[in-house]
Amino acid sequence: MHRDAAAANGTRSVTTERECDQLLVERVQAGDRQAFDLLVAKYQRRLMRLVSRLVHDPAEAEDVVQETFIKAYRALRHFRGESAFYTWLYRIGINTAKNFLVTQGRRAPTSTEADAERAEAFDDADSLRDINTPESVLASKQIAYTVNAAMEALPLELRTAIVLREIEGLSYEEISEVMACPIGTVRSRIFRAREVIADKLRPLLDLPVDKRR
Amino acid sequence: MENLMDTNKKIREHISALGDGELSASDLELAFAALHSADGHHAWEVYHRIGDVLRAQASPDLSPGFAERLAARLAAEPAHGKREAPALAEQEPAPAQVAASRSASAP
Repeated sequence: MHRDAAAANGTRSVTTERECDQLLVERVQAGDRQAFDLLVAKYQRRLMRLVSRLVHDPAEAEDVVQETFIKAYRALRHFRGESAFYTWLYRIGINTAKNFLVTQGRRAPTSTEADAERAEAFDDADSLRDINTPESVLASKQIAYTVNAAMEALPLELRTAIVLREIEGLSYEEISEVMACPIGTVRSRIFRAREVIADKLRPLLDLPVDKRR
Repeated sequence: MENLMDTNKKIREHISALGDGELSASDLELAFAALHSADGHHAWEVYHRIGDVLRAQASPDLSPGFAERLAARLAAEPAHGKREAPALAEQEPAPAQVAASRSASAP
């Protein structure tokens, strides 16, 4: 939209975020190492945010993020720009996380394991800030606790899909590129993830449990 | 009874996609009608609450020295600038492949 308006006015168009990334990629491909450092600086925390939902131990998640950037750097010479750099990078990150979990012999943790992990990791500072009463603070904690436990018990594909949607804000089309699956599959995975979490959450929200399902 | 359950589930899937701004125009009327029902309204509330909870939580920050460790590893990699045969790892899917795969709907 920016570009069209600018073209109509005869002014120079603004470079989109995707175009900016592609310019940096081309500079890396031409031998400019610093250009890759710029991409790292831009995406390292976003990648950590995604990977940490798949690989729970922070040190291990960091290892996966580092490995992702190394793999991306090595493969960048063959990157053609047909997909956005970030969807390509996220795909590498997810595959690297999956491979890590497989080599570690990990499966999706049971609710019991997730409960223990989340009980230690839960951060009060991220509770809803407009809640004042002790009862409502406790209720918010219970809700977050339940959501996290349910998330960690999800199959990896469902968990990945809902993280990319809810936390990374990607569209279904973008998620389908990252996860290399049809858009219909993305929609189904996100829905199924929500249904599983919602099942655990409904009693806490005083909503009637749907017995017709 | 089974058909009713399937219908309710389908409607909730519509509501899920509607909340993401990803519902096709042809399904909008049905979804909005469902939002007036208790089940539909509750689904909308819960799905949004889930998203709010996930986004409200901080993700772990990178440890001190992360950037330096990565920079050292990258410095050890050969520089780009020469054409080589395509490697096996991390190929981009061709747009046609992605488009073709999107036409199917799989669980």
